[in-house]
Amino acid sequence: MYRLIALGVAVFGFLIFPIAAPHAEYALDVLFLMFLYGAMATSWNVLGGFSGQVSFGHAAFLGIGAYATALLAAAGWPLWATFPAGGLLAALYSLLIGPPAFRLRGPYFAIATIGIGEATRLIALNWSSLTGGASGVTLSSAPPAAVQYYVSLGLCAATVGAAAWIKRSRFGYALAAVRSDPDAAETLGVNTTIAKTQALFISAFMLGVAGGAYAMHYLYVSPDSTFGFSTSISVVIMPIIGGIGTIFGPLLGAAIFTALREQLEANPFLAKYSLDLSVFGLLLCGIVLFEPRGLLGIFDRLVRRGAARAPKDSVTQ
Amino acid sequence: MQDTLATLISALLAAGLYATMSYGLALIYGVLKVINLANAGVLMLGAYVTWWMWDAFHVDPLLAPIVVLPLFFLFGIVLERVAIRRVIEQEPIVSLLLLFGVWLILQNVAYAIWTGDTRSIETPFVEATFKLGGIQLAWPRVYVFVAGALTLAVLQLFLTKTQFGRAIRAVSQDREAARLAGIDVERIYAVAFGIGIALSAFAGSLLSLLFPFGPDFGGALQLKSFCVVVLGGLDSFVGVAFGAILLSLAEAFGLRWMPASLQNLISFVLLVVVLIAFPKGIAGIIRSLRRV
Repeated sequence: MYRLIALGVAVFGFLIFPIAAPHAEYALDVLFLMFLYGAMATSWNVLGGFSGQVSFGHAAFLGIGAYATALLAAAGWPLWATFPAGGLLAALYSLLIGPPAFRLRGPYFAIATIGIGEATRLIALNWSSLTGGASGVTLSSAPPAAVQYYVSLGLCAATVGAAAWIKRSRFGYALAAVRSDPDAAETLGVNTTIAKTQALFISAFMLGVAGGAYAMHYLYVSPDSTFGFSTSISVVIMPIIGGIGTIFGPLLGAAIFTALREQLEANPFLAKYSLDLSVFGLLLCGIVLFEPRGLLGIFDRLVRRGAARAPKDSVTQ
Repeated sequence: MQDTLATLISALLAAGLYATMSYGLALIYGVLKVINLANAGVLMLGAYVTWWMWDAFHVDPLLAPIVVLPLFFLFGIVLERVAIRRVIEQEPIVSLLLLFGVWLILQNVAYAIWTGDTRSIETPFVEATFKLGGIQLAWPRVYVFVAGALTLAVLQLFLTKTQFGRAIRAVSQDREAARLAGIDVERIYAVAFGIGIALSAFAGSLLSLLFPFGPDFGGALQLKSFCVVVLGGLDSFVGVAFGAILLSLAEAFGLRWMPASLQNLISFVLLVVVLIAFPKGIAGIIRSLRRV
């Protein structure tokens, strides 16, 4: 109950923020990125967290969405219509690669997705007649910052809402079964390949739409910025450090990711030594070694420790 | 004809490099059943240490392995003791993510010490070429190939003729049986991981003679080494060498039909296709090899 109230207050705060602080352009920009990253991390989490299929190639879907928006907008489509188109294209692409890739399990699937992601980037780089090659595609005009902010907030809310709904649905339980034991899931009547393909489809669609928001914001898409391996890395890192397979973990991860990125730009010491890599690398190693449930798991432990101590205190008083 | 021969020779020479950078990956997977996703980071650091010794202390890059091998062997042992040991018995994806984190940290080490600038080694030897039957060949490429072949021979001798090598093979075949036979499995894990990391760093040291490199260097090579290992099977180093030849032939002859910018696509596609053609992944190939 308290959680719901806190959530309501937060959403209300974010909703009125551009009206309450019309000149806070920098804050608006940072929040835009935070919501966009939150949507991206949540999309990855639907496949990687819920069904346990760790993909290192999700940049492919973001890239397809970003290019779809950039190219369709250049062809005269209204911007709002390019978003679902980009999502749909990314989802269709997932149907092409999902069924064969899901014949692989665990680490082999993960390795194959690195190959798929890099192959997609190379194709985008070399298909110059469509993508403009290495020079990329430029968009002509962006909506006002406040509109972008609401688009990103709406996207994040919709993605998180969909993820929360999936997690509690029959489909979500099927994915959880696939994650804990694919063979047992098959025995219980779950078609694991179909379940995983559906999860990938949804994940790719969401990431494709997020790619559209990316293109709208930066007004420029290139193979390295959208299809690059670093994009794939970010969408893996955020949910894992936040709390893999949870609803709020990816959001927490996205907030930390965004804050660190901004720090990196503002702080010459961090930037000079590219310390963000170490921070994420250490966080990742630490979480894998000590608390696989991520930062949410750590909070959970602290709260429980606090709760365990509280009654004792009241007794002594 | 001359063209085909030249392509063939350059493919064979490249295979020596591909094999060297994959031995460590295969050894670590064989013994610990852990996929070393930090392989690219180790390759890159091996190249940096070689370059740095040449740049700062004028050490001939051909002598660098004398330092690189023990240094990275120690690093591998420490890494195994501190981190890898804790995740060996867990799901494979856990160790994959852990080593992914290690890769990010290694990249950061290179950025912090040597900045993001591209480095390359320029000695007379690195630029030396010679002609063989009308085909222009680069000395460093020949050297790297010979080093790769020698490494294979030494590894093979080590694994078949020494007590320690046999213990490593026993653990890779069945760790429980090895434990029952009185082998200190934990010690084998640490030493095998150390050797694997040292081999990858050695490959990086060789690479620095051939290519310019930076902190992000190695991502594409990482996928190539996975491809080599998947092609050749993880069980034997001869298989790895065979996989390396297969990949470099596919690349060399593939280039005749496609632009050079797509060269890496060959290995990525080959990796994915081979993985999928053997649905049980690398383990399936090993099993089918064992049955033969």
